[in-house]
Amino acid sequence: MMRLLLRYRGPVAFFVTLIVGGVLFGIGEGEAQRRGKAAPPAPVARPMPQVAEPEIKREQQPGARESVEADVSARNIAVTSSFNGTEIVIFGAIDGSQQPSPESGYYDVIIVVEGVPGRIVVRRKGNVAGLWLNTASAIFDNVPSYYAIASTRPVEEIVPEEYRALHGIGLQHLRFTPAVGQKDAISTEDLKQYREAIIRLKLNDRLYVNREHGVAFTGKSIFRASIVLPANVTVGPFDTKVYLLREEKLLSTYQVRLTLEREGMERYLHAFAYGLPTLYGFVTVMIAVGAGLLASTVFGRSTH
Amino acid sequence: MQFYLPVAEMSANVLVFLAMGGAVGFLSGMFGVGGGFLMTPLLIFAGIPAAVAVGTEAAQILASSVSGALAQWRRRNIDVKMGLVLLAGGLVGSAFGVQLVGVLRRLGVFDVFVSACYVTFLGVIGMLMLIESTNAIRKSRGGRVVSQRRPGQHNWVHGLPLKVRFNRSRLYISAIPPLLLGLFVGLLAAIMGVGGGFIMVPAMIYLLRMPTQVVVGTSLFQIVFLTAATTILHASQNYNVDVVLAVILMAGGVIGAQFGALAGERLKGEQLRFLLATFILFVCARFAWQLIARPSEIFSISSASSA
Repeated sequence: MMRLLLRYRGPVAFFVTLIVGGVLFGIGEGEAQRRGKAAPPAPVARPMPQVAEPEIKREQQPGARESVEADVSARNIAVTSSFNGTEIVIFGAIDGSQQPSPESGYYDVIIVVEGVPGRIVVRRKGNVAGLWLNTASAIFDNVPSYYAIASTRPVEEIVPEEYRALHGIGLQHLRFTPAVGQKDAISTEDLKQYREAIIRLKLNDRLYVNREHGVAFTGKSIFRASIVLPANVTVGPFDTKVYLLREEKLLSTYQVRLTLEREGMERYLHAFAYGLPTLYGFVTVMIAVGAGLLASTVFGRSTH
Repeated sequence: MQFYLPVAEMSANVLVFLAMGGAVGFLSGMFGVGGGFLMTPLLIFAGIPAAVAVGTEAAQILASSVSGALAQWRRRNIDVKMGLVLLAGGLVGSAFGVQLVGVLRRLGVFDVFVSACYVTFLGVIGMLMLIESTNAIRKSRGGRVVSQRRPGQHNWVHGLPLKVRFNRSRLYISAIPPLLLGLFVGLLAAIMGVGGGFIMVPAMIYLLRMPTQVVVGTSLFQIVFLTAATTILHASQNYNVDVVLAVILMAGGVIGAQFGALAGERLKGEQLRFLLATFILFVCARFAWQLIARPSEIFSISSASSA
């Protein structure tokens, strides 16, 4: 018996590791949940909205006959191990539509999907003695992790500048602000550059999206738009706001929330890594040792 | 085949990283090196955040060193006492290094710092190996017998206080040099995501004058415990160990190493070292280019804690 155990030491060790690992993972998850609903303190803070806002908000402009309603193809999106980005469809209908045909362009619709606002550090490289190093930086608050805007035609043609600025419609009017207590004093010109850099980099990562003809009417009162959430999107709630306008005048708005959440093993591992980091490190070590022992048994020789 | 990495927080192609682990495993099997100093740069080039690459690589080096250490243990090629002294220094170095990673990361200079470290170390080691192996190849072509440099009788190391007897190594030397050596290697392990064998082995031979048959075993012995500690420290302090990525790399590495070892048996030592030196210099050049070349985008963004 002992000899047999000794002979198959590798696989035995591997399975023992798996079992112990599994048990510990189990404890890890339980612990994390007891600590407060599997939302472990990540080092990168992802501020959640302070007040529990209602999932759906609608607003009717006085005097307007039409009102808009909308929904998204999925209210809850799971980020699992196979998550590779996803496409969501936002569709809506106009109650009391006066539009003669889908192509008439009687109404304008703007759809804004906005992720959780957070703090961003933007750094600028400079040449120091021939090397390109980060030499300057600025911190911005309330930078949406994700921002997509889709409309029936370019927003500049739909609503006047003042309204866009007031309501933060369009990439130029995102309301992120330099954080108080910056390390260095930053000139207005630099701030502008930093702002533009954030938007440019986010556009490159497809985390900011601008689709000028992204909303299409498919019927006299029905419209739809599709928006891609890329794989590197930050999890959390996303507010989707739909604006219905006619001739530069706002008629009605409708807001619906969708949530991106980690699920399954993905959620398990993330919660474990951030909730019980020491134990997570320990289990990783055991998996590594198990893998090494398994390899030496299977191949019957050292890997070194 | 895409897989979302839970800690790196990015979607990765499993096959790409499996192949990467396999390729580095092949090289490490062929050259008999740990492979951390090749794997970490590759991970960074593949877009894994530098901090996550460093933390995850500690776990992978552990996996690839365990079986080697076990084999050396069976052959009684480990000076446990020396290993423990090295490890004592190593743990202090690692703990300090892990803190340093955290600080540099918050300051936003970790990526550049790692690049600079790699350029320095790979450059120096690559050049030394290239010169040495070219000379060896030239000598062996000239028909002369290549003789191993014989260690001298005494050097400055033997004049230091706090002497300890290391029976297995047949040494009676001060504990300070191995402690400092361990400290330095521990620091490198934490910051650069390497096992440190490429520093440890030459230092043991030329500095501590340990007998060659216990050098590799003792180095592996301390690497196993050092990388285990470094993995746990990284995971708990910096949250930068991705277990999914580690498992993918382990699987690739283990398989690659088997074929690498077979390939290595067909090549001569100096040819192997020449090849490895060329490869190291190539990686070094890649890092150097990154630091010197004018970047197409001089801005970068990262999320920060709003605390």
